[in-house]
Amino acid sequence: MSRRAFLQLVVAQATLLRRNTSFWLASIFTAVISMAVFGWLFNPESQAFDLALVDLDRSEASRSLVEAFSGLDSVELHRGDLDDEMDALNDGQRSALVVVPLGFAEGVARADAEIEVHYDNSDLVQIGYVTSTVEAVVNAFNERLAGRRDAVRTRSQAVDTKDVRFVDFLTPGMMGMTVMWVNLGVGFMLVTWREQGILRRLGVTPLRPGTLIASQAVSFAMVSLTQVTIILAMGGVVFNVDVAGSYIWLAVTVLLGVAAMLSVGYIIASVLRTVTSVNAAVNLIAFPMIFLGGSYFPLNTPPALTPLVNAIPLTHLNEALREVINQGDGPGEVWVRWAVLAGWALAGYLISMRFFRWQ
Amino acid sequence: MSSAPAETSADTGATAAGSDRPATLDTVLEVHGLTKQYGRLTAVDGVSFAVFAGETFGILGPNGAGKTTCLEMIEGLRVPDSGSIRLMGIDALAERRRVQEMIGVQLQSQALWLELTAEETLKTFQSLFRRRVRIDPLLERFSLTDKRRALVKHLSGGQKQRLSVATALVNDPQVVFLDEPTTGLDPQARHSFWDLIREMRQEGKTVIVTTHYMEEAEALCDRVAIMDLGRIISLDTPRALVDGLGSGSAIECEFAAAVDDHVLSALPGVRDVRREDGALLIFTIDVSATLDSLIKLGGGTGNLPKRLNVRSSTLEDVFISLTGRRLRD
Repeated sequence: MSRRAFLQLVVAQATLLRRNTSFWLASIFTAVISMAVFGWLFNPESQAFDLALVDLDRSEASRSLVEAFSGLDSVELHRGDLDDEMDALNDGQRSALVVVPLGFAEGVARADAEIEVHYDNSDLVQIGYVTSTVEAVVNAFNERLAGRRDAVRTRSQAVDTKDVRFVDFLTPGMMGMTVMWVNLGVGFMLVTWREQGILRRLGVTPLRPGTLIASQAVSFAMVSLTQVTIILAMGGVVFNVDVAGSYIWLAVTVLLGVAAMLSVGYIIASVLRTVTSVNAAVNLIAFPMIFLGGSYFPLNTPPALTPLVNAIPLTHLNEALREVINQGDGPGEVWVRWAVLAGWALAGYLISMRFFRWQ
Repeated sequence: MSSAPAETSADTGATAAGSDRPATLDTVLEVHGLTKQYGRLTAVDGVSFAVFAGETFGILGPNGAGKTTCLEMIEGLRVPDSGSIRLMGIDALAERRRVQEMIGVQLQSQALWLELTAEETLKTFQSLFRRRVRIDPLLERFSLTDKRRALVKHLSGGQKQRLSVATALVNDPQVVFLDEPTTGLDPQARHSFWDLIREMRQEGKTVIVTTHYMEEAEALCDRVAIMDLGRIISLDTPRALVDGLGSGSAIECEFAAAVDDHVLSALPGVRDVRREDGALLIFTIDVSATLDSLIKLGGGTGNLPKRLNVRSSTLEDVFISLTGRRLRD
């Protein structure tokens, strides 16, 4: 691979993408508008949700977990009898019901404790931050377990526990969606080049397909990192969205997402021949991905759809971004999602190397 | 780098006498038995020819004759079904990239990124080669210096075409392939393009150009291969091809009533008679004798020509004489 050709192609393609303003602006615009609308509509002050807590264990461990929930602004906490609260949930008076089962303390001691979370599936907008809030509290509780000996310090940690608002949940979803839109665009770019004869023109030079593909990946990654930074900056400045985890893991996640989405774009471009059909295919694939992949709302998908949802790269990109941004997770937690994204990238690379044609 | 080829004239015997191409016997390109089929259509059918160093070699033929397919196989864009290609002594089919390093190609489609500037375009193409020339003189030569920072989409058709040919020279190639470089250009732009191609020849580059304009082949090419239906039907210097018709002039005419070909063929000086779309094309070696008897023939029968046009024979006439059809429809 010629380094000079590679670098010049990166520069040229980044320039082309930058000048194609509507291409990269449209996706970022969608993300920013969504954040503005949902961020202001569903801010935590107006949208405290009703959470029911039933403690069946009544141990020291369970009480400290219950206490962790009671410190949250965004939660209207209800305590009561299991049957009553289940009825209230069914009547739509509770967004979620957390049950701490009998034997929880023993479970904590063995490090395999479980709590049950029942939530109202009819309110799509709420599910996201209800489940995320519960997860955040449980995560904080787990962290506390590691330093159990220092009781006083654990209490202060509980107070710090961040409640996940809808906009916190939405921001990573919008980042994932933008990464998807822009990088699926590589299919559009390739097929346009093919129609204009540019690929044929490159095919009569000593350029190798691998150099072209690698340079495309780098220039698209540059554009994606810029967009994601803009979205994250807007989330941080306007809505105080915090990145709980490391920026390094965040960058790794974005780059793996770029590679996975590019590979889907390459597959589309290698199967379809015209600009219009690629355009249609991208839209046909992108919209179901956005919803099934949970960019806006997490869907409680029917079991029949679960394999599909798990196959979608955007699902894993969104979840990995949320785990890093909202829950402060690192490679230990998100490696499976990274592996799925890397698998997509590898598959796309192999398929496009196999089927790449200059014309 | 560029040194003018030795212009000492010598008869090589390889082509028709009277050829004034540079006297060097080095064969730059040798194509043998090249064949390409698309389904049942044979686009290129056993084509063989050789191109010598420093000459401008034309491939003349109508659309669909197989000119482009032929070039694309030589350039490494298509794989022939059979045949061999040697470019600068290298087996082009076995060592595609080594050959591509040394050739310059302009394809029929302009193949330019609309959102890059002229300068960025040349830089990008230049980066793909080990051997490269400087960008500034190239822009100057193609009259694009003041457009260097203009986006390609804002260039005129002629400017885009010049840029497209300039991209073929970024690696200082020894052999340049131009596929219908002047198609779609106005006559003035076409003539300034011819100067650019002549300049390449003066630099000692071998230029292989396809065209369906016979004036272009006559004006530019040292030798011309006439191609039709996938085959080379004639190959020589433009002058030798026209001389080979055995007639100096062509008379185009139209009579009010039909005239039998036998009658016309028997007229003094006539070498060949062709018909197309009701018009007659009479090739003659003695234009005054033929004209004289043509008028007499008409006067005697009351069937005078409605239209009469006398001109020197051209490559177009060669093509008509060989195929019975015109180059362009």
